[in-house]
Amino acid sequence: MTTDQVRILKGNTFVVSDDRGDIEASATDPTGLFSFDTRFLSRWVLTINNQRLTALSTDDLQYFEARFFLVPGTGTVYVDSKQSVIRRRSVGNGFSEELSILNHADEEIDLTVRIEAACDFADLFEVKDALKKKGTYSTKIEDGRLTLSYERETFARATDISSSEPCQIDEEGLTFHIRVEPHSSWRTDLDVAISVPSSGQDKEASIFAWHARRPLSDMAQDLQFWLDEAPRLECEWEPLRTSYRRSLVDLAALRFSPVTAGGRSLPAAGLPWFMTMFGRDSIFTSLQVLPFTQELAATTLRELGLRQGTRIDDFRDEDPGRILHEMRYGEMAAFEERPHSPYYGCADATALYVVLLDEYERWTGDVHLVRELEFEARAALNWIDEYANLQGNGYVSYQRRNEETGLENQCWKDSWDSIAYHNGQLPGFPRATCELQGYAYDAKMRGARLARLAWDDSAFADRLELEAADLKRRFNRDFWVEEGEFFALALDADGRQVDSLTSNNGHLLWSGIVEDAKAEIVVRHLLGERLFSGWGIRTMAVGEGRYNPIGYHVGTVWPFDNSFIAWGLRRYGFKDEAAIVAAGILEAAQFFDGRLPEAFGGYPRAMTKYPVQYPTACSPQAWSTGTPLLLLRTMLGLEPVGDNLVVDAALPMSTGRLELLDIPGRWGRVDAFGRGRVDTRQSAGPA
Amino acid sequence: MADTISEFFQELAEQRRQPLLGRVRGTVRFDLVESQDAADQWLIAIDHGDVTVAHADGSADCVIRADKAFFELLIKGEQNALAAVLRGTIVCSGDIELLFAIQRIFPGPPGLRQTQGAARGSQ
Repeated sequence: MTTDQVRILKGNTFVVSDDRGDIEASATDPTGLFSFDTRFLSRWVLTINNQRLTALSTDDLQYFEARFFLVPGTGTVYVDSKQSVIRRRSVGNGFSEELSILNHADEEIDLTVRIEAACDFADLFEVKDALKKKGTYSTKIEDGRLTLSYERETFARATDISSSEPCQIDEEGLTFHIRVEPHSSWRTDLDVAISVPSSGQDKEASIFAWHARRPLSDMAQDLQFWLDEAPRLECEWEPLRTSYRRSLVDLAALRFSPVTAGGRSLPAAGLPWFMTMFGRDSIFTSLQVLPFTQELAATTLRELGLRQGTRIDDFRDEDPGRILHEMRYGEMAAFEERPHSPYYGCADATALYVVLLDEYERWTGDVHLVRELEFEARAALNWIDEYANLQGNGYVSYQRRNEETGLENQCWKDSWDSIAYHNGQLPGFPRATCELQGYAYDAKMRGARLARLAWDDSAFADRLELEAADLKRRFNRDFWVEEGEFFALALDADGRQVDSLTSNNGHLLWSGIVEDAKAEIVVRHLLGERLFSGWGIRTMAVGEGRYNPIGYHVGTVWPFDNSFIAWGLRRYGFKDEAAIVAAGILEAAQFFDGRLPEAFGGYPRAMTKYPVQYPTACSPQAWSTGTPLLLLRTMLGLEPVGDNLVVDAALPMSTGRLELLDIPGRWGRVDAFGRGRVDTRQSAGPA
Repeated sequence: MADTISEFFQELAEQRRQPLLGRVRGTVRFDLVESQDAADQWLIAIDHGDVTVAHADGSADCVIRADKAFFELLIKGEQNALAAVLRGTIVCSGDIELLFAIQRIFPGPPGLRQTQGAARGSQ
């Protein structure tokens, strides 16, 4: 059924309907008009003379508008209609819909057009978990408008439905009795407006009420501007141009502007269900796209900084200095039935926050922001030692304090069985996964650079570097699995190694925590038969107890994961290996029209011939969208050095000539060129 | 009840410097509603972490309106400001960034240890 769904969105407002444009949501069915994590319309069904319609075609014009071409009736074999119907829908503060009915006959025709409307005002969490509502519903007809409302104490949400053409309004919808002349048409403009009424004297003054009615920008013009601002890619290999263009458009759609951001945007995690601020996803995506656009990183840093934890709160798993995991605006967050106001249960975003701040400065030279966020960055660095060292052994680990609704696994591999020993058993808590130590190391090293550059505190910088060196030394001793010669996935609560071979080894390269002497053997694992499928590096190696080629974090290939591993391979000088990983992922993208899925199956490439998509609800996913951009960076070897951008290309042979023009940064705009020379064919993975 | 609130603002005035508000510049007014048409008003001016407090009316960049009894729970850490905004228990008008900023100085839930990490792990 997902294949027939049509989704359009602007920020966190989106509409999911069937291919006729109709919405018939049940309690657990994720269709409807959503905004601020609340469903504002759960039924929206068009009939003509009591008959449903049939879709001839659907046109997703842009991510924010769609057009449905329909004929009356639900014909079985062929359609021979004297009328056609066009619904053109665009998202704004709710949505607007131009409904046109065309009469192709030589005679005039009288029609009864009906739109049925209803709303359950479900919270996104309720849609996922099928929970019961606790408030009361009401319906009002006033001033030619149908208003559907929901109230629970002071929490109020409403939907206003109106039409430009006269109609009869009842509590369940709108009815039009119309006459359409021969070879002529009739049209009405329907408006479905979300509303967040506030009680008391400030009826419409509250910020959410305003946000629900804010003036809309010209979205088509905005998208064009966004595309014009991005670097231009010229490449002989057409699929890469397709992926690049797809990523830029999807990234535009994934932009999300928090109420506090004054219209500026950060990357949300995924479309449509994760159109909100996530610490980890927003940071990783900002890192991936830095060479192409820098505004997203700046907004991510400011907005996550504004919401940084300041107190100990077990329900939210909040600590001072901790960067949030996820923010939600719906009823369940509001009444603290879920902890997302915001929820902080995430063990990596805090170190990654410092990593992003440093990387952002290296690209932009914006020392001002580094100074502005000094307090936040120091608090984040402090969190690593003060609050994340749960076992007192000098390693970052996690264990939720909210045992009811908090997250068990607070690393990016967050499914229940992702952290497992070689024998398949699961460790207890706390868990110190290896990549968290890498991020902490990198955060300290980068924090030291920032302390010297912008905070005038060389003593702090010296201290951070000493701590980082010590962490690296201990890590290479304690996490190294002697027998297999790779880094353990984690240390368990007893300090024992969780001894599976996983893609996390690649993140360690990215962070720089791997001793040089160990790098080559780690790379051999990453590109060896157990981890490399031919399309990419599996999350978990073949032969591990939990390995499953279609297990979410225990065998699938994640494009985002691979993009950071490619970056890590470059960091340690393995240019050709980075090109092999990039080639595999970008070749896989061809099978998805340039839009990389969140994950695909870990089957050997020679076995399936095409990448098997892992079924997920969200597409595009932000960090999959960012993947082709980061791979372009790693293939071209783009690296800011002082005020210059160094280019050191190592491209797959299949790429041919590649030019990336007008790369923005502290140097103004510069171009990068390269020609494919790395033979990636012999690395197509095991048969 | 009024005493707790007065004490809170008085302490804020005496501390002057709030590191958690170091990035913030602007004015916030709390309208603490006692009855239908009476509100206790506190005006806070923040200039990059330096805070001044007036027990007075006046225009502000951000106005935060809540029942007085509810506000008392907030400053004791028994309620969370951001969840309350989502719920409509607190109504904010003007620059909401200032609300996100100033709620950082409210305490966490009472009765929880204020350090964890190594201290907790070595129990």
